Amino acid sequence: MKRFYGMAIVIGAVLGGLVALSAGFYLAAGALAGLAVRLGAPPSYGAALANVLTLMLVLVMVLASLLTVAERKWSAAMQDRIGANRIKVFGSAIGGIPYLLADALKMLTKENTVPATRSRLLFELAPVLSFVPVFALFAVVPVGPQVTVLGQKVALAVFSPDAGILYVFALASLSVYGTALAGWASNNKLGLLGGVRAASQMISYEVSLGLSLVGVLMAYRSLRLDEIVLAQGEPALGPVGAIGFLLQPLGFLVFFASAFAETKRAPFDLPEGESEIVGYFVEYSGMKFGMMFLAEFVEIVILAGLVTALFFGGWHPVVIPAETFRGWFDSPLLYGAVSAAIFVAKMVVLCWLQLAIRWLLPRFRYDQVQTLCWKMLLPASLANIFVTGAAVLLDPSLQLLAWIGVAEIALLAALTVAAGRAPAGATEAHGAHAAEH
Amino acid sequence: MPYSLPQDKPVTFRERIYLPEVLRGLAVVTRHFLRNAFFSRDANPDVLARDRRLNLVTTVQYPEERVAYPPGYRGLHRLVPREDGKPRCVACYMCATACPAQCIYIEAAEVPGDPIEKYPFRFVIDELRCVVCGFCVEACPKDAIRMDTGEHAPATYTRAEQVWDEKRLLRGPAVSYQSDPWLEREAPGVPAADLARMRGAARPFPGNAADEYSQTPGFSPRALAAEAKPRAR
Repeated sequence: MKRFYGMAIVIGAVLGGLVALSAGFYLAAGALAGLAVRLGAPPSYGAALANVLTLMLVLVMVLASLLTVAERKWSAAMQDRIGANRIKVFGSAIGGIPYLLADALKMLTKENTVPATRSRLLFELAPVLSFVPVFALFAVVPVGPQVTVLGQKVALAVFSPDAGILYVFALASLSVYGTALAGWASNNKLGLLGGVRAASQMISYEVSLGLSLVGVLMAYRSLRLDEIVLAQGEPALGPVGAIGFLLQPLGFLVFFASAFAETKRAPFDLPEGESEIVGYFVEYSGMKFGMMFLAEFVEIVILAGLVTALFFGGWHPVVIPAETFRGWFDSPLLYGAVSAAIFVAKMVVLCWLQLAIRWLLPRFRYDQVQTLCWKMLLPASLANIFVTGAAVLLDPSLQLLAWIGVAEIALLAALTVAAGRAPAGATEAHGAHAAEH
Repeated sequence: MPYSLPQDKPVTFRERIYLPEVLRGLAVVTRHFLRNAFFSRDANPDVLARDRRLNLVTTVQYPEERVAYPPGYRGLHRLVPREDGKPRCVACYMCATACPAQCIYIEAAEVPGDPIEKYPFRFVIDELRCVVCGFCVEACPKDAIRMDTGEHAPATYTRAEQVWDEKRLLRGPAVSYQSDPWLEREAPGVPAADLARMRGAARPFPGNAADEYSQTPGFSPRALAAEAKPRAR
C-alpha cells in the first residue's frame, strides 16, 4: 500500500505541476504579446513566439523524451517486469528517468557511420524531413483556451489557421518523405524495402485518415481546431459535452487506427520490422538515428494532442458543462491554466493508450495492413460520412448524432462483453484437444 | 512428438471486426499495468512463495536479491580443514586422478616429524577449467574436498585470479571423524592439545552420502521433500 499512496502523491504532484506549468506558459505568452505591442508588432506575433518556445520546445519535447523512458517502464509493468532501473541518482532509480540523459548522451557520442554509396544530400536531409513535419504539426493544436493574461488576449496555440485540419493533413503526408528518402538515400536494399513499405502504407492510410475527419467537420462546421474544441464544450446529452468521441465513435476509431498506422509503430511497424528488415533507418547511426527515434515519440505526442482536441473535448472537463466550469474560477489565468492542464492530462492518457496498444498487438502482415485499410477502415469511414451527413441534415442540433454515437458505443460494448463469455464447455473441449496431441 | 495446429474455427462477425478482441486485450494489459504500477512488489527471492495478489512481477533483482541455491548445489570447492586449521587432505591424488578436466594440481610433502603422513604442499584448482562434475568430492577417501560453499565462480578481471591455491581453498567449518588415522594412531606431527580437541569433536564416519554431517549444512533429502510438499500444492 505504501507504493499506492506514493503513486497517488506523484500523480497529484504531476497534475499540480501541470497547472503551474500551464500558468507559466500563459504568463510567457502574455508577456511576449505585451512586448510585441510595445515594439509595434501585432500581439499575436509575441504570443506565437512564446507558444513555439513553451508548447513545442518544452511540452512536446519533454513529453516525447519522457515517453522513451515510459515505453520501457510502462511496457515492463504491462508484462509483469520491473523495467529499467539500473541508473540510480542518490540511490533511487526515480522511475527510470535518468535513462533519458543516458540515452541522449549515447546517441550524441556514438560514432556516426555512413554508407559510402549513399546519396549525400538526401541522406543528411532525411532525418530532418522525418522530424520537422511531425514536430510542426503541433503548431495548430489548441492546448489552452483564449484568456486575458497581463492585459493581452492569448491562447495556448501557436496559430489557428482557418484551414486547421487541412494543415494537419498536409504536414502529416509530408512526413512520409523523410521515411521514404531515408530508405532510398542509404542505398541499402533493406532500407529501400522499408522506405517503400512506409510510402505505400502511409499513402494508403492517408485516405481513411482524411475521410474519418469529414464527419467531425460536418458535425462542428469548422476546420479550425480551436473552434472545434469550443464546440465540444456545448452540452449534448445531459452534462456530457458534445465531444467527438460521443458524436463520432466510428470516426474516432478509424482516425485513431489510421493515425496509428501513420506513426509507424507496432502493430503497423512494417517499415521498421526489426525482426525481418531493419527498416528505413538501417544505415543511420548516432544522432541521425536518434532524430528518427525521437520523431516516432513526437508523433505519439502529436497524435495524442490531435485526438484530444478533435475527439475528447480538448481542454473541457468532459462531464462538467463548460459554462459551469468557467464559473468556478475568478481569475482567467487560473481558468486557463487548469484547462490547459486538463488538456495535457488527456494527452498523457492517450499516449499511454498508444503505448499499451503497441505492447498489446503483434505486427500485422503486409497484406493484412492493406486489407485493414482498404476493406475495413475506408468503407467504415465512408459509411460514417453518410450516417453523419444524414443525421446532421435531419437534426442540426446534433442530438440525433449523439444518440447514434451512443448506439454505436453500446453496440461495441455489447460485442466486447459478448466476446468475454466463452461458450459453455469451450475450455474443456480445448483441454481435450490439447490432450490428444 | 509431432505437433499439429488445431484447425481454426469459422470466423464469426465479432472476430472479423477485430475491435472487441482488441478491447479485451487492452483490458488485460491495463489490468496488469495498474496492478504492477500502483502496488509494491513482493521481493521474496523464493518466487513461488511471493504474494502476487496485487503486484504480479516475478522479477528477481539479481545482484541485490538472490534465489537460494538448492541443497546439494555444487559450488566452488573448498578444502575441508581439521580443528587445528590444517587441511584434512592427505595428498593421495585420488581427486586429481578422477578429475575429467584435469584441473587439480597437487604436490605432496611429508608431515615434519611423522614418517607416515603426507599433506598437500601445493593444492591448486583451476576453476576456469573445472567442469563442476563433483567427481573429486566423490573420489576423496578422507572427505577432504567438498563443493558445499554455495558460491559459484565469482567474476574476476584476470584469469590468474580463477586459479585457487590451498590457502584460498582451505575454509569452512572443520570436520573430524573418529576413524581419522591421525587420531587413531596419535600422529606425532600433531600437537597433543590439538589432538585432544579433534578427538573431542570427532564423529563416526557417515554411513551414507545423505548424512547431514557429510554434506552442506542443513542438507537432508527428507527435509527437502518436506519443504517442497506445501509448495507443490
